Formats: sequence, structure tokens, C-alpha cells
Amino acid sequence: MSHSPVYLDHAATTPVRDEVMAAMTPFFGPRFGNPSSVHRWGREARVALDEARERLAACLGAQPDEVCFTSGGTEGDNFAILGVFRTLKAQGRLAAITTPIEHKAVLAAVHHVVHEGGEERIVRVSGDGLVERAHFGELLDDRVAIASVMWVNNEVGVIQDIPALAAQAKAAGAVFHTDGVQAFGKVTVDARTQPFDLLTISGHKIGAPKGIGALYIRRDTPLEPLAHGGSQERGRRPGTENVAFAIGLATAAELVLAEHDAEQARLLSLRAALEGGLRDRIPGVVIHGANAPRAAHVVNVSIPGASSESLLMALDLRGIACSAGSACQSGSVSASHVLSAMGVSNELANAALRLSLGCLSTPECITRTVDVLATLAEKSRGVKSAPAFETVEF
Amino acid sequence: MFTHIPAAPVVPQKGDRVLVAMSGGVDSSVAAALLVEQGCDVVGVTMKLHGDGADVPDRPCCSLDATSDARRVCEKLGIPHYVTNLVDHFGHDVLDDFVQEYARGRTPIPCVRCNTFTKFRDLLDKADAIDARWLATGHYARMGRIGDEAVMLRGLDQGKDQSYFLWGIDRPVLDRLVLPIGTQTKAETRDIARRFGLRTAEKIESQDICFVPDGDHVRVIREHLGADAPALQPGPFRLANGDVVGEHDGFARFTIGQRKGLPGGFGAPMFVVEIIPAERAVVIGPREALLGRGLEARELNWLYDAPAEGSTVQVQVRNRAKPSPATIVRLDATSVELALDEPIQAISPGQSLVIYDGDVVLGGGVIERGLRAAPSRRLPLLVG
Repeated sequence: MSHSPVYLDHAATTPVRDEVMAAMTPFFGPRFGNPSSVHRWGREARVALDEARERLAACLGAQPDEVCFTSGGTEGDNFAILGVFRTLKAQGRLAAITTPIEHKAVLAAVHHVVHEGGEERIVRVSGDGLVERAHFGELLDDRVAIASVMWVNNEVGVIQDIPALAAQAKAAGAVFHTDGVQAFGKVTVDARTQPFDLLTISGHKIGAPKGIGALYIRRDTPLEPLAHGGSQERGRRPGTENVAFAIGLATAAELVLAEHDAEQARLLSLRAALEGGLRDRIPGVVIHGANAPRAAHVVNVSIPGASSESLLMALDLRGIACSAGSACQSGSVSASHVLSAMGVSNELANAALRLSLGCLSTPECITRTVDVLATLAEKSRGVKSAPAFETVEF
Repeated sequence: MFTHIPAAPVVPQKGDRVLVAMSGGVDSSVAAALLVEQGCDVVGVTMKLHGDGADVPDRPCCSLDATSDARRVCEKLGIPHYVTNLVDHFGHDVLDDFVQEYARGRTPIPCVRCNTFTKFRDLLDKADAIDARWLATGHYARMGRIGDEAVMLRGLDQGKDQSYFLWGIDRPVLDRLVLPIGTQTKAETRDIARRFGLRTAEKIESQDICFVPDGDHVRVIREHLGADAPALQPGPFRLANGDVVGEHDGFARFTIGQRKGLPGGFGAPMFVVEIIPAERAVVIGPREALLGRGLEARELNWLYDAPAEGSTVQVQVRNRAKPSPATIVRLDATSVELALDEPIQAISPGQSLVIYDGDVVLGGGVIERGLRAAPSRRLPLLVG
């Protein structure tokens, strides 16, 4: 029996959309100019870059000068945390607060603060992955330079109350950053009404290429650049701008917002089918963060008795792509630090899979995935069944 | 003189799924390529065993580069590739034992335990998880059959034969084991790699223990046990008669038969002949003192039916040594005593004893001690 491949790893990355490709293409060829050049090629590129900035700013509820293009999520997170810390250190604000369920880019940047004479403070999260507000308040004293909380968690999809946390941090005099890589396009992001100071977004999660992102920087936020050089991006991010990719990011951002309502409703119904199917067919299945508000596109599920690593192999051999924990550089898998921080046992954390929905997801994908996972779960429970050798047509 | 003439093994059929353990070296690359060529459904898996030296660029295996090589070979062959994280298992089953053995004054072979526990137990679980009927590796050893039973044979290339390291694997694994390159020489393996255009064709061979890339096993012991471990503290060099002839800086630095780092001035070359951990003593003596005419081994494992007491076998007490004829003097479930027809030099506790019948690997054990005199068979008790 032959099946179409199933891609359920949209939280890892997404394909570049056709519209995005079309918008970028001229800037690799005829409109190749350097935006800093004085001649017509340069002017053309500069205008295109300015337009892209305006369009992306509009998507974020921001002023164009509050948008700084970056290479992506990791750069944005590092820039925000280290940039603020290094600026406020002189004023005696030496601490950075974050949660234990952040992306490694934030955790490592906050940890790096310690190496520069600062202090890292980790706020507790509940079993459902929500920040404990009272504890956050306790940590927010007048020594805190920056607090950074991820808006939508990349592994479990849990949504934090960012407007409230940002207000709480700012009341204590701290700068507030949120990693919005998984949030943009999925939850409402609006710098006019939500008081965050810094927001990281990444292009390749929303149909733009890998290697482009942006950091929203509210006016008057103290922020030292990471790199030093020319005056591009107002001196905040020197280096010749990636004009084509910036246009790609702006185009993808507009598309994702225009389609937001319909797409989120579609993903929610697919998620309900996926979770319902898994609950019906796999005894003891655990869906992490189930009692917290969650984004529509992420399902993190543990199959008792199974091993994430073995499941990933068996799924891939059946043409189903998803992920688990955090992949190290060699490509091996270790248990998720997010699930551990949420108090999930090692055994369950080692039996977890992240299935993330998006543009390539269809009802057929969900049916197929539920069928295969139910079979694999039976196998890990020791129910013998004939090995199913199937072909996948790519 | 050999009891058995093994027949050809049962081999995977076209379409059978085979998990190939891929280190990123040329041997396992070619093993995978040959199975792909035979029409098997091949899946490459690289084991991540430890974090040590993962960033050392020229390491032949277990480095990021080695994993990338394995991945790229698989891509070239058009087969899937995965990395399995066995760091915890390897640490417990192999690394900890390695350190403990040195602390006991012995000379362990971590590769044997890695094969026994990691490659042929943990990796077999992965094979089960992906419904792979077979597990293949790039070892220079062969499979064969005696009656209906799968058996392991020496590799055809005597200079490369790796069967010495494989005696410890679980016997039922043999029914699922494929060793595609055991009938080749290394040069032939490289030729095949070139024919397939594999990037690993000219790769240098791994010689060191994979988690001791710099060859400094003392560093590994220090990292695990601390610099104040007794095995790393100074102790006496002694002669067999008890005379102290110098001081060493830790018995873990020594192994039976070692010449390097010993006090001189004895006229004849001196060797380590015994390590006594309780007294931190390293006993040295002339070449004759190294000769053993018997040995005792424990932790036995059989890959074929165990030989009877009194039977004649061939044994090896180190890799690539010439097989020596020996007689099984005493054998029970956990230990064996052998009498050697010819004395062997430097029988080292912790190393492996492997017992062969011709090319057939019968089994093996961990050497407990060498015996100066050949043990004699116990006489049956006369009851009366």
C-alpha cells in the first residue's frame, strides 16, 4: 500500500510560499543593488527595503523605525537580551529573568549574562507550562535589566499572557522581551496595544526563507548592537541588508495575517481531529499543556512505553515527519528540557513527540498519522502485529 | 583437527529491512552499499556514544564529522539515516566499567563491552523498533552455519580479523546478524568504496579507543575518579622477591607486558609482570617472568555450544595474536581454566580470552589471571 508523505513539523520550518518567492526573485537578478549605494541601482534597492520595513511594521502595529531586520530568531533573541543587559549594566541593573521553557537561544543568551558579570533568574512554570505570576513578581526587583518570556512555546504550544507579563515587568522598571517566533501569525500581536518592548520574529516559520527575521524595538529601548560596522539598520545591525529576504519576510507576514482567521480555524479543527484520534486509539496517551491556552499548530504528545527516538525513526520510515525534544548538532535526540521543566517524568518525556500543523496539513494527513501512531503504540505496549512494510511515494 | 566445517550463512533476501550500524568509516559505509546493491531495504544508524571530543575534526568516528560522513554516504546510497543517542547506556555499560577495571589494576577492552551491550543489544532494540529483521555491521568477521545454527567465523583477512572483539554478544543475535565485508581484505573494501564513489573511501583507520582520542587513558580515569584516586597515586616498583626498586606515579598507567616507564639498570629488559592494587604495587621482571602456561577467565559467553572439559581448542588472549592450542581443564557456567600447549607472553587480566574451533568463534571470557604453571585436571574423588 502506498501513502503520500506527511509533514507535521511546521514548527521546525515551512516551505517558502510561491508568492514570497515571486516577490523576492527580481532582487536576486535585475534589482540586485546595494541599498547604501548612491546610484539608481542602490536607490531602487533602498526604496524596496524601506517599503518592506513599512509593510512589516504595519503587520506588527509598529513604526517602521522600530523594525530591525535580523538573520532570524536566534539573532533576535541574543540581540534583545544581551543588547539590553549591556546597556543597563552601568545603571546597576544586572539581572535577566526568563523561564525554563524558552528556546535555547534565549536560555543561552540569559546564561551568557552571567559570564558578563550579571545574574540569571529563572521563573517557575506550572505543570501546564504557564509562568507563575506571583513568582515572576518576586523576581522583578530594581536590579532586573530585562525579562524575556516566550509567547507561544515551540515544543508544547502553550500561550503565555504576554500583555500582562509585559505590563508587570515594565511596572518594575525592567525591559520586556518576548520570543514571538512561534506566536506571530498565530496569536494577535500588536505593539500599539501590547506593552512589550522587544519582540523576535523569524521568517521561515511563516513561509519566508531561512536566514531572515526581525526584532521589533520599541522607541527609546536601551539596546547596544551586537556587531559593529556601518550604519545599516540605524547602526543597530550593521552589514549590507538582505533586501530580497526582507521583502520575502514582509510578504509572508502580510499573507499570514490576511489568512489568519480562516487558517487558524482550519488548524484548530485538524488539531481536534488529531488529539481526539490519539485519545481514542492510544490508551494512556498524554497531551502536554492540555489545560492551558495553546496555539492551534502544536501538539505535544507522550505515548507511554515508547521511545521518542524510535518513534521518529519508525514514523520517518513510514513517511511521517515530526520531531521530539531538542535535536543536538549530531542529529541525536535528548529529552525535552521544556517537558522536564513542566514536571513531566523522564519516562514520559522520553516518549514524547511534537506534531506541528501548518500549510501542508490536511485531514488525510491526520487520519494517516493517527493510524500509524496507534499501530506503533500497540507495538510499544507489546501487542504483536505483523510488521507493516509500506512504500511512500515522494 | 577441527570439529566443524561451517556451511554458508542464511543471508538477507531482496526487500528485507536491514539496520546497518554506521560509524562514518569506510567499512560500515561499504557494508551498507553492498546490502543496497543486493536490493535490501537498508537503514543506516549512527550511535552517539559520548560527548568527549565530539568537536575533534579528525576523529575517525563518533565526531560530528564522522556522523556527517555517515549521513552523506546514506544520502548517496539513497537510504535513510538516523542518529541514536546511547550516551547514557554507553556511559554506564562501557565507560564506567573501563574506569573501574583500571582502578582494579586490570587492562580492559571497552570495544568488547561496546559490542556486547551497546551495538548488539541497544542497537538491536532500534532494529526491532523499525521492524528490521537484520542488523549489519562493518566488522571483519563472517557468519556461517552449522546445521541450523548461525555461527560467527573469523574474517578472511587475517590481518584485519575482528572476531576477537565479538565473543560477548548474545547468541540469539547471530540469527539476525549480517557481516557483509568479512570476506574481503581492507584493500578490497576501499576498492568497493571507490566504485560506489563513497566519500569515506580514503578515510584513515581508527586505532585509538573512541572515547580516548588522544590515547591518554589516564586523563579519562582522572576525569571519572578524580586525581586522588588510588590508581593514580604513587606506589612502589617491586621485584618478584619483594625488593622495592623505584616509585611509579599510579598503577593505572601500567599494563602487563609494558616496558615503557620502568626503572632501568637490570642488565636485561624488564617488563610489568603483575599489578597489585591493594598495595599500589607494580611488579617488574625479566621476559621469562611474563610467560604463562595457563589461564583462568570469567564472565563467559558462548556463541556456539561450549566445548567439553578435556577438549582441545585454539585460543587468543589478545587481538591479532596467533591462535594457540590449549586444553579446557575445568569449565563451569561462570569460569574456565585452560592449559596452554605453548606458553604465551603477558596474559593480562581484563583482556579477552577468545576460544575458537578453527575459524568458528566458540565463545570467550574476561581473563581473570594468567597461570605460571599449566593447571592439571582435578582427579575425580574416590568415594568409598
